[in-house]
Amino acid sequence: MDLITGGAYQGKRTYAMKHFSVSEEDIFCCSEDAPCDFTAGCIDHLENYVLYCVKNHLEPAMDFRSDAVLIGRDISCGVVPTDPLIRRYREVYGRYLQTLAARCDSVTRMFCGLPQKLK
Amino acid sequence: MIVFISGGSKSGKSSLAEDLAVKLAGDATRWYIATMVPHDEEDRQRIRKHIASRSGKGFITLESADADPSIAIGREKDTFLLDSVTALLSNRMFRNDYSVDPECGKKTTEALLQLAGRVNNIVFVSDYIYADAENYGELTEEYRRNLALIDQALANAAGLVIEMTGSFPIVHKGELL
Repeated sequence: MDLITGGAYQGKRTYAMKHFSVSEEDIFCCSEDAPCDFTAGCIDHLENYVLYCVKNHLEPAMDFRSDAVLIGRDISCGVVPTDPLIRRYREVYGRYLQTLAARCDSVTRMFCGLPQKLK
Repeated sequence: MIVFISGGSKSGKSSLAEDLAVKLAGDATRWYIATMVPHDEEDRQRIRKHIASRSGKGFITLESADADPSIAIGREKDTFLLDSVTALLSNRMFRNDYSVDPECGKKTTEALLQLAGRVNNIVFVSDYIYADAENYGELTEEYRRNLALIDQALANAAGLVIEMTGSFPIVHKGELL
């Protein structure tokens, strides 16, 4: 598994397509209103999947394919959110990403379109 | 040379940008493109702090709310410092009649790349405002999308890209001068 993270609009998906040869059809885009499709080769917006789990009191799973390319936005840097749900979401997602990063073969952070290898 | 610096607030972006511009300029003239249009006392105070911090570094302040490429005319051999792309985008995006130019990210990118192409050196300072959980509403999202478009284009064109964090530089591209 390979993880790509970074802030919003930093070129994460473009990098996945270019560097990991992911095509549009491979990408499953997570929504905060539906479960995740763990069979997809590339899963984008992991933060939405975790928000879905938090909203529905579910433990977010990591049943991804061993060759999956995973993309998740970094949402960790702002002020503590006033909304308790968003506060919990931010915490659960942060811990989720830490565990996921430990399990991934590579971790890349995108900064203004430029990749920074973290692992 | 084009230098692009971004990072969180008060991370030391401006000081580093000033120092790099001084090094790049050598004996050539240094222009500080002041983009901020002050709206209240807090803004005026921030501007005074920035002026004090760069005093003695030999910059001539060039007030330009839109950083039109024409400011380069007759100054092609000089070094420019634009602080900040963020303020520039708000000037260009939010019009006085409360309407928004949806194309302003693209237009601002073109203007800045044109300006950069005309001068010897330019240092851009932007703000990394992309990594929080809060939902700001569509207008702010549009602003962030536009800023990211400009940031990516400038980082792509730049020979040196730096992220500042706690006054320490992380070099994403090129080598620190």
